[in-house]
Amino acid sequence: MWASFDPSSFANALILGISIGSIWLIAALGLTIIYGTAGVINMAHGEFIMLGAYSSYMLQSYFGLPFLLCIPASFVIVGVIGLILERGLIRYLYKRPLDTLLATWGVSLVLMQGVRLIFGSDPKYIAVPEVFQSNIQLGFFNLSTFRVVVFFITIALVVGIWALFYRSRFGMQVRAVMQNNEMATSFGINSDRVYMMTFAIGAGLAGVAGSLFGVLNIVLPTMGSAYVVQAFLVVVVGGGSLVGSVAAGGGMGELQSIFAYFTNDTFARFLLFVMIVVFLRFRPQGLFAPAKARR
Amino acid sequence: MTNIYHSKPAQWAVYLVFFAALGVIPLFIDDAFLLNQFSTYGVYGMLALSLALCWGFGGILNLGQGIAFGLAAYGMAMTMQMQAQDPENDPIPPFMLNNSLDHLPWFWEPFWNTGLGIFLALLVPTLFYIAFGSIMFRSRVSGPFFAIMTLAMLSAWYTLILDIQPYTNGVNGITPPRALQVFGFEIDPYSSTSYWVVYTALLLCTIGAKLLTQSKFGLIVQAVRCDAERVRFLGYNVAFYETVIYTLSGLIASIAGCLWVVLVQYVSPAQMDVTFSISMVIWAGIGGRLSLIGAIIGAFLIQGAQSYLGDEFLNTWLLILGGFFIIVVRFLPKGLAGLLEIVLGRIGGSPRSKSPDAVADGKLVAAGE
Amino acid sequence: MGMLEIRDLNKSYDAIHIINGFSLDVTELTLCCLVGPNGAGKTTTMDLITGRQKPTSGQVLFYGDDITGLDEHEIARRGIGRKFQVPAVLKDLSVRENFQVAYSRTTNPLRNIFKFHSKGFERKLDEIGTLAGLNERLDTQAGLLSHGETQWLEIGMVLMQDPRLLLMDEPVAGMTEIEIEKTARIFNQLKKTHTLIVVEHDMGFVREIADVVTVMHMGSLLAQGTISQVESNPRVKEVYLGNEVH
Repeated sequence: MWASFDPSSFANALILGISIGSIWLIAALGLTIIYGTAGVINMAHGEFIMLGAYSSYMLQSYFGLPFLLCIPASFVIVGVIGLILERGLIRYLYKRPLDTLLATWGVSLVLMQGVRLIFGSDPKYIAVPEVFQSNIQLGFFNLSTFRVVVFFITIALVVGIWALFYRSRFGMQVRAVMQNNEMATSFGINSDRVYMMTFAIGAGLAGVAGSLFGVLNIVLPTMGSAYVVQAFLVVVVGGGSLVGSVAAGGGMGELQSIFAYFTNDTFARFLLFVMIVVFLRFRPQGLFAPAKARR
Repeated sequence: MTNIYHSKPAQWAVYLVFFAALGVIPLFIDDAFLLNQFSTYGVYGMLALSLALCWGFGGILNLGQGIAFGLAAYGMAMTMQMQAQDPENDPIPPFMLNNSLDHLPWFWEPFWNTGLGIFLALLVPTLFYIAFGSIMFRSRVSGPFFAIMTLAMLSAWYTLILDIQPYTNGVNGITPPRALQVFGFEIDPYSSTSYWVVYTALLLCTIGAKLLTQSKFGLIVQAVRCDAERVRFLGYNVAFYETVIYTLSGLIASIAGCLWVVLVQYVSPAQMDVTFSISMVIWAGIGGRLSLIGAIIGAFLIQGAQSYLGDEFLNTWLLILGGFFIIVVRFLPKGLAGLLEIVLGRIGGSPRSKSPDAVADGKLVAAGE
Repeated sequence: MGMLEIRDLNKSYDAIHIINGFSLDVTELTLCCLVGPNGAGKTTTMDLITGRQKPTSGQVLFYGDDITGLDEHEIARRGIGRKFQVPAVLKDLSVRENFQVAYSRTTNPLRNIFKFHSKGFERKLDEIGTLAGLNERLDTQAGLLSHGETQWLEIGMVLMQDPRLLLMDEPVAGMTEIEIEKTARIFNQLKKTHTLIVVEHDMGFVREIADVVTVMHMGSLLAQGTISQVESNPRVKEVYLGNEVH
């Protein structure tokens, strides 16, 4: 169980940790902005990821769309689904966080079973261009090319979200609504629309994550539940802000990889979860929490 | 005029009728398999009851009740497995031999003793609930965050048990070959004996839980649900109260876990699967989280319908169940019991029925909002 | 020697100083009004006394005991009761149940599991129900009370605790003139048996009830004295009364 220490394979584990971190982060990005803005705990996030994977699969195998175009297409498709969900259900529950959690869990059940009824329970596969199928090898460094692609897409998305939320007019409106909804409304900001758009963008990001995860793993109706707990932990540990999620995703991915190097994947996950519980004992607000509203 | 739904004597009368009805069931059923199935519903009822207590009354949404259920179930399965082993000639369970273990792991040793084994099956989850609960509640992790942390903890345990295959038989789980023996008696899962055991446990847990909600403790727990801060400033240690109600609810789930293994002679990581724990929440939510008996009936109805419809309709059924659950959360936060409350309120003409009954998370929510 | 002594209290977030070397002595059986413009640090001071926030430095002494940094419930058990600025009552529960919860003689959860009746509760309920004018409303759900009634319910709950020191954060906010008069009567009666600190903006109300007025500004003590002393203080006029005339 205890591997002997080997510097070069340990260095490889560290690099793998960055890759794991980027996967967890990309899974958590949509959740972060939905939670950070509207305070909604979206339990259907994993199923949004799953829908993203199925969208890509469908577009590729029925319409022959190249994989790189499937990614933005999945963003749009899942974003629209998110929009419909927000208008039809979530907006009635903004003041009831626990009930939002439960209702979105109901949604996740419906989505999972719906997909199962349509596509069946057997696994689907998303094909990628051949360049992505190789491994990159430089000395001790060895990683699949696609993981590198995921890493760079994650960086691009983080930068994009940062620009959208901190450098655009829409972002200013979002932050105004977050700070003080009533005040923002009195300045003519349509907070309803802000919430709606944020939710749609968050769902779309899950779609992007899904089309990538569909390549890393197989596409199954139940694949979402594998990611949702990790994604939530990234948000909880990060405290609900973008920078927090980046730090938490990176840190947790790295720890997972280091623990796994010394033990194995599943036991590493157990250790990590226990560590998170202990961490929350000392920093219940997470790493970078936005200021709390006062009574 | 007041709503009869809130009358304590009327509530106790309903309990009496309910348990009397459950008590006559074995007189009418000859089919041993059906009776065994009814007994398992009783176990599910206990799980729904435990959630009504913790989530409905305490406002602590626990998405990881499978931890208590599963740990206790493993403890019971280990006890029953060791009853089938012989200390002299055959001390190691077959699955361990298949996983090339040559001696019994130390933490299996206590399970040679049936009494100690059952005690540990209840003690281990209880200690875990006390530890995890006090860490979380003292850091004032509450509401949705607590729910997510329970989910994470559940998934951690699931992974661990799956991972240590030589000791737990991994995904295949433990299948004790013989029924449980206590004091020389065998509790045959397909007999009315096991039905009565489950019946008694459900009855005692329900009465205990009902008394708990009517005690001063129960009142304070409900007050914490409404406004934890207010209660803290009245001099109560809120984290202590939360830990106690969370642990008591976990204890009920642990008892349920033990009984479940007695009934089905089987346990696997599936009992600690996220889906199963959330099913418990759905039972309590649809039946009525604020009504103990409503939650129990919710479990009976949903599990009953599920087995009646059979496997071929399972996917469609889960789809409908998910949809129904969304509707309940959105329009009927108190579940079917809440519907009854409204109906009885209308009949009685009480002013409460006109009040916004949609109470959630300690805040009043206008019904048509 | 005061019953409550605040010594050189400081509270800051990063570089922002909310409370700046604030000190205060409160004498037993007096009513002290804490006034000051918005952002002067009145509510934060309440938070620091009751343990809701922990001070960066400084001490809070209650009957000579250092209570700085204790948890909220420990401070409450020592006899400090608090009414919040936004009325905090238990909305799902009836008025009677609210009072039952507030009657916190036994606080140990393991004992309260076996407790179905609290000794002396009915008598106390009668007394406080009368004082708060809620005797007719005992079976009403607290969430359905009017704003004034909600304020009185919370005041009543704090009294139910039987504290020695009462902290009241804006008790008459949102009340009608008649309700304010009634509250002033209640407070004038209370100060014969209790010590009170009242944060209030309504200077008319302050004039009715205050023994001592303490003015805070930018997290520090600006002036202290009787209402007329404070009102004639030029610095007070400048920062506070100057822009908020009553």
